[in-house]
Amino acid sequence: MCGIAGVVALGNISEKLVSSIRSLEYRGYDSCGIAVINGSGKPSVRKNIGSVEEVSEKENFLDLHGNVGIAHTRWATHGGVTKLNSHPHSSCDGLFTVVHNGIISNYISLREKLEKKGHVFVSATDTESIAHLIEENYSKLKSVEKAFTATLKALDGTYAVALLTAHEPDRIYCARKESPLILGLGVEENYIGSDFNAFIENTKSAVILDDNEYAIVTHDGYVVKRISSGEMVVKQVLEIMWDSEMAQKGGFPHYMLKEIHEQPQVVRTAMNIEEDRLMKFAEAIADKPRLYLTGVGTTFYVAQFAQYYFSAYAGVTASLASSDEFKFMANVDDDVFVLAASQSGETYDTLSALRHAKAGGAVTGAIVNVMGSSMARTVDHLILQGSGPEICVISTKAALSQMVIMARLALRLGLLNGKLTAKDVKAREKELDAVPKGIEKILNEKSGFIHTIAKEQSHIPHWLYLGRGRYYPIARESALKMKEVAYVHAEGMPSGFLKHGTIALIDDNLNCVVFMPPEEDAELYKLTLSSAEEIRARNGYVLGVMSESKSPSKHLPFSETIILPKAPPFTAPFFEMVAAQLFSYFTATTLKRNVDRPRSLAKSVTVA
Amino acid sequence: MKALVMAGGRGSNMAPFSATRPNPMIPVAGQYVIDHIITLLKGAGINDINIVVGHRKEKMRAHLSESTPQGVSVHFVDQGKPEGIGKAILKARDRFSPGENILLVYADTMTTNNIFSVAMQSFGLSNEPTAAICLTESGEKYGNVYLDSGTKITKIIEKPGKKEGLGNYVLAGVFVLPFRFFEFLDKAGADMEKALKSVIKNTNLHAAIWDGDWLDMAYPWDILTANKSIMDTWSSAEVHQSVTISGSALKGPVRISEGVEIMPGAVMEGPAYIGPGSFIGHNVLIRPYTCIGANSVIGHGSELKNCVIFPGARVGRSCFIGDSVIGEGVSLGAGVMTINHRIDQSPVRVKVNKTAMETGLAKLGAFIGDGAVVGALNSIAAGTVIEAARSIDHNCSVR
Repeated sequence: MCGIAGVVALGNISEKLVSSIRSLEYRGYDSCGIAVINGSGKPSVRKNIGSVEEVSEKENFLDLHGNVGIAHTRWATHGGVTKLNSHPHSSCDGLFTVVHNGIISNYISLREKLEKKGHVFVSATDTESIAHLIEENYSKLKSVEKAFTATLKALDGTYAVALLTAHEPDRIYCARKESPLILGLGVEENYIGSDFNAFIENTKSAVILDDNEYAIVTHDGYVVKRISSGEMVVKQVLEIMWDSEMAQKGGFPHYMLKEIHEQPQVVRTAMNIEEDRLMKFAEAIADKPRLYLTGVGTTFYVAQFAQYYFSAYAGVTASLASSDEFKFMANVDDDVFVLAASQSGETYDTLSALRHAKAGGAVTGAIVNVMGSSMARTVDHLILQGSGPEICVISTKAALSQMVIMARLALRLGLLNGKLTAKDVKAREKELDAVPKGIEKILNEKSGFIHTIAKEQSHIPHWLYLGRGRYYPIARESALKMKEVAYVHAEGMPSGFLKHGTIALIDDNLNCVVFMPPEEDAELYKLTLSSAEEIRARNGYVLGVMSESKSPSKHLPFSETIILPKAPPFTAPFFEMVAAQLFSYFTATTLKRNVDRPRSLAKSVTVA
Repeated sequence: MKALVMAGGRGSNMAPFSATRPNPMIPVAGQYVIDHIITLLKGAGINDINIVVGHRKEKMRAHLSESTPQGVSVHFVDQGKPEGIGKAILKARDRFSPGENILLVYADTMTTNNIFSVAMQSFGLSNEPTAAICLTESGEKYGNVYLDSGTKITKIIEKPGKKEGLGNYVLAGVFVLPFRFFEFLDKAGADMEKALKSVIKNTNLHAAIWDGDWLDMAYPWDILTANKSIMDTWSSAEVHQSVTISGSALKGPVRISEGVEIMPGAVMEGPAYIGPGSFIGHNVLIRPYTCIGANSVIGHGSELKNCVIFPGARVGRSCFIGDSVIGEGVSLGAGVMTINHRIDQSPVRVKVNKTAMETGLAKLGAFIGDGAVVGALNSIAAGTVIEAARSIDHNCSVR
């Protein structure tokens, strides 16, 4: 996801332009840039990697003067996070400059054709071919509008694109296909943006472009036409009555719920990580005799989850260390591989653990969501999870994606160790492919039930989250969710641990959640069930989380049961985690907590 | 945007009150449901409100003709004979013009916060047809909604049936629809569900996710739930300057309206509401979630808790009214007791249209229809419904 913005006015627009992309930064934030025309001449382009604040200062955005400009804030998908790959991108002659959000799927063939005609590309992006193609078409058609629409017709994929050109320096051309684009109408000045946040400070009148439409925007007007026919379209002007936060949350009441609902997509993305990259990563791990898994907070539980999967599917025994403790317990030397996970890639504790490991001669690897982050640049081996920006302070989709990637790594390690055959790997991968649909089913068919239980039990001040085996890290992660979002005391522990002390706590003020494995995992199933029975025998409340079974026992020891879609042992933990996310979310909303910004928490903990 | 408010239904599950009024004319926390809706609509920036009326329409017309908030224009559309919600919507087609978007509201649901703003904001994001959705405890009663990984509705299952552990988002009865919807509705033979399905198929239907309170006014005990939900949002006491009060105790958010007279010794614990012109006798005890309608009289030494009393009711001396709803102009003789629980503490059942319904509530009193008269010294069993205008002699217990 990226954000694009543009302003056309009579006076200097650079300040408004910078403020526009700052408001769009939530859509992506690894690099940004602007292009401005001052009366006539080529667009001046400035861009670099970093946040809008950083780049604006470094590149002196505000020194640019002009009355027409476009801008971009980027969340990289094609091409690494580099200055050259940042938008805007220009044609060879520098007379056409574009910004783009979306993915051009035929950019390789376009690029090859254009290169044959002598165009020189400077970036690795799909966007740059748009600028060159417009230049190429203009040389034939001698009309900016015709060149623009001819170019749009040649593009496959999705786009919201804006064009600035020295040939017509008083206007912005823009178009949309499946990526959002909106016009803002001011007094003697007009705007474009990926959403209302781009201009809501300046105007509340807006026109929403529909797919396959383009617009020409000047300071005193705009016209919208169909790309296919050039026919004018009469658009309705809307008065915006909503706040920008609402727009950013895309219709969900909280980012947390939005991100929980994005999980099917996020898992699909994790399943699309190339085989080659995973295999190389696994080889690097297998190359070293010792392995440490690390993370902190949620990612510590991701690491613990990996510990179980690496052991079960690859016979790999890994040491586990919370990254804040890493220095005090780990022995690192050049026999060691250290594998970490981090959403932001800026987590101080994990970064220093990795740096400490590196200094000791270890090889490092990480699963990171934010491209270009410190961790992404620090480690020797990197997997980018591509989960899209995670705004809620509480991690949901990023953590789930990391777990899926860890499970996929476990399969490759198993293959390398000879513990799994290629057929086994294929079978497990197929099970993973079914996860998105299963999550959709949970979100659509279980939300109401989970909401009802959460509401009924929201007065309970203490919770035990119990699971055995691979459900143990799920229990701990789910307990952490409850603590951080609902401010309700919750403790995750192995269910076998219960009778060794904690069971003394069972009373009316303490409820338990028990994560059940599928019935086919017979031993684990039986053992987990017996823990639940221990609690019921003491009149404790037990919320069972389990997958659907053909012949469910009538005598399950649960006060309430959340029944999830049937899943094999390899993937059942993912479903149970999603159910627990919803449970803590609904508990938090019932208790009227500040869901997206819980007290005392920050999105990326960059301090010791 | 203009609103289209559907208020013509019979709502027969709301007996005994539905016999004499449409559901939106039930008072809750001191205001009729229709007034709550109009206030929220006005708050959402809507001032052109079209109300489709049918069942007991004269009641709604009479009320709104004398008390419509400033800056709002209300227009009535008569649905004629009752032929379902789809036909009723089509009757209002003339009130809108092509190209216009319509905020469609079912007036038998209530929210404490503004669901209309949320629906309109969501509509603004997509500029496509929008339906408000929410989570509710009994999902099987409503149209169940499936979402894609964003807020696009992929399918609606009308009557999902009761399946254990199933719980979807449901349609919350608030929609933003284009004028074209009338066409869809026409083609679907005025079947609302079919029409919504063709919206999903032909354009898109976006969900506005509502996470606030959502109260379906279907059964008489829902009146008490709605009353409590709204009163829970009150934070301060408000006493009109014209109120006569001395030697009484006030605690919490008690709202006392114009011209109320309160005799010495009365104790009032909020949240509670006393409507204009009412009289509260000596030593009356008003406990939380009591709502007394305009021009009512509460006799000496009576105790009231969690109850809604419609305007013009007379409660004699030494009565107990708990977890009950008392209709307009009802007269209760001295010493009437509403028994509000069963002797074995099991959930109270209520007869709705001849079927005994489980309410799941351990405490529930009586539902007494408009204009009924209950003689002195009667005790009324938990969950009893007394029809409108019925007269019950002194000193006989009622079940």
